Amino acid sequence: MQIRLQQVSPDFIEEEKITGSQVWRSDLVFHPGEKVKIIAPSGSGKTSLMHFLYGLRKDYSGDIFYAAENIRTLDAESFSAYRSRSVSIVFQDLRLFMSQTVLLNLEVKRQLNPFHTESKIAEMANRLGIGSKLNKPVSTCSYGEQQRIAIIRALQQPYEFLLLDEPFSHLDDNNRRLAMDLLEEETSLRKASMILADLKPNDFFKPDRSLNL
Amino acid sequence: MNLSFKHIAPFLVTGQNKISRWLGYAGLGIGILLLLCSIQMFVNINQLLKSRDPKKTGYDYISLTKTIRNENMAADHSFTDADMADLKKQPFIDDVAAFHSNKFVMKANGGATLPFETDLFLESIDDRFIDTVPPSFAWKEGQVALPIIISSDYLELYNTVFAPSRDLPPFSEKTISSLVIAIDCYGLGETQRFRGNVVALSDRINTVVVPESFITWANDHFAHITGINPNKLYIKTRDANNPELLSYLQQKDYHINRDKTRFGRIKQILQAIVSGLAGFGVLVILLAMVLFSFYLQLMIARSRENLQLLLTIGYSPHWLSKTVARKWIPVYVAVMAGALLMTALLQLGFQYVIMHGREELSPSIHWLVGTVAVVVLLLSVAINNRLVKKLLYRL
Repeated sequence: MQIRLQQVSPDFIEEEKITGSQVWRSDLVFHPGEKVKIIAPSGSGKTSLMHFLYGLRKDYSGDIFYAAENIRTLDAESFSAYRSRSVSIVFQDLRLFMSQTVLLNLEVKRQLNPFHTESKIAEMANRLGIGSKLNKPVSTCSYGEQQRIAIIRALQQPYEFLLLDEPFSHLDDNNRRLAMDLLEEETSLRKASMILADLKPNDFFKPDRSLNL
Repeated sequence: MNLSFKHIAPFLVTGQNKISRWLGYAGLGIGILLLLCSIQMFVNINQLLKSRDPKKTGYDYISLTKTIRNENMAADHSFTDADMADLKKQPFIDDVAAFHSNKFVMKANGGATLPFETDLFLESIDDRFIDTVPPSFAWKEGQVALPIIISSDYLELYNTVFAPSRDLPPFSEKTISSLVIAIDCYGLGETQRFRGNVVALSDRINTVVVPESFITWANDHFAHITGINPNKLYIKTRDANNPELLSYLQQKDYHINRDKTRFGRIKQILQAIVSGLAGFGVLVILLAMVLFSFYLQLMIARSRENLQLLLTIGYSPHWLSKTVARKWIPVYVAVMAGALLMTALLQLGFQYVIMHGREELSPSIHWLVGTVAVVVLLLSVAINNRLVKKLLYRL
């Protein structure tokens, strides 16, 4: 599958921000297996772009296609199929079940369309340093820990595209590197594509392509 | 997707609303119990009152007149052709015939054997309505002998009341047929005598009947009256206690022998009470469903964020609504099974304790009760599913 953007621009962003962008109002194709970095200063619509790509919002002009399918016409049922099979995401605002345990947050995603066995969850959690938190409620975890939970959750399903919206904002360099390694490994395993949106470039993610928003 | 409710159960906030949930279940149970018991009692009443009818394999014959009250005494009380056609149209009436009577003065005397003289009336009705019609029950113009059929009650009255008071001998059914009664007809300045002869006694007809040909001829001959509407009809029905028949007669304001339809009236009242109970049961079910829907709405509103997030991370709205709704199927089945069991126990108790020895009453519940239970169960599940689906798709 490829994701194609055709002259997409948000309805709510100032014209000058759109004219200088390599993404807005362009014709873009994200290819299978490609790693793309989107560098976006605050307020340029980074999170909006991720939400458009994931189908959460429709307040844009232009069109976005999953393969040949214009996602504007997809119904909730079709989106759920894409989200459990083809497109996974780490939200900037994480969107975790705060009152549930870390394990339950991860299991509820894994059970939907299991890519890994249950034991893999503990392995990943240990690798990112949150193994001891598995049976604790998410609300008791720090924001950095919650970010790692959100990253591990995104990896519990098969996907062709992994959308990452500032996934490391609250992680130190060491944890960033660990998380990036895990993400790259899992994405390679699926021969999938990764679209990472961040405020500035970083040295541990080597994209095939960088785009300024 | 190998998912089940247990995977999403922790994300549904149900805890703090137990009272309204249990009230919903209890209301549903009580409503269904009321409905099922009412249906069962309806069936019981039908079975009990039907079997009380001594002529349950045959027909009932009822005479019918228009009700005469002080305020309508001057009105015409005869039945028109339209009245009769309407009666014939009713599914619970098998046949209708008119009684015709003499419209001129008649007198009868018994001669030497039976020393009495009286004013007389005669009626006629189609032979198919008379239970005993001998071949001799026929008359044609010029014939002096007039065959008569009288109610067997009249003979009984004569033998037990009239004859002893006058010191006269009683008559058997056979001897009365040998008796000749002089019947004098007066009209238009003419008098003519006929030789009346009782050819049969009837258990069904409570009057004095002669062949229709005689009444038609005599009314024309002695009063120049032909083709007038009858004041009395006779109807033939499979069940005189049929509440539909009674309702129809009441609605038309027709007067009937109330004793013949006594059980029908009781049945009508009981059925009305039981129908009222069933209606109340339906109302309780509806209220319970409303209460339950409030509970569902509240639960979904409270779990709104969680359910939204489940949809966001890829859960199918169709699967989610189906799974959430299915959670209540066992509850509905349990409520229904409980109500059905309770109805069965009540029926068993009714048969063994209250109606002991009435074999026509089955100790087990009627198939209709089971069918209604299944229909209500399916309806409840369907309404519940629809509601959950609607609420979830609205998120």
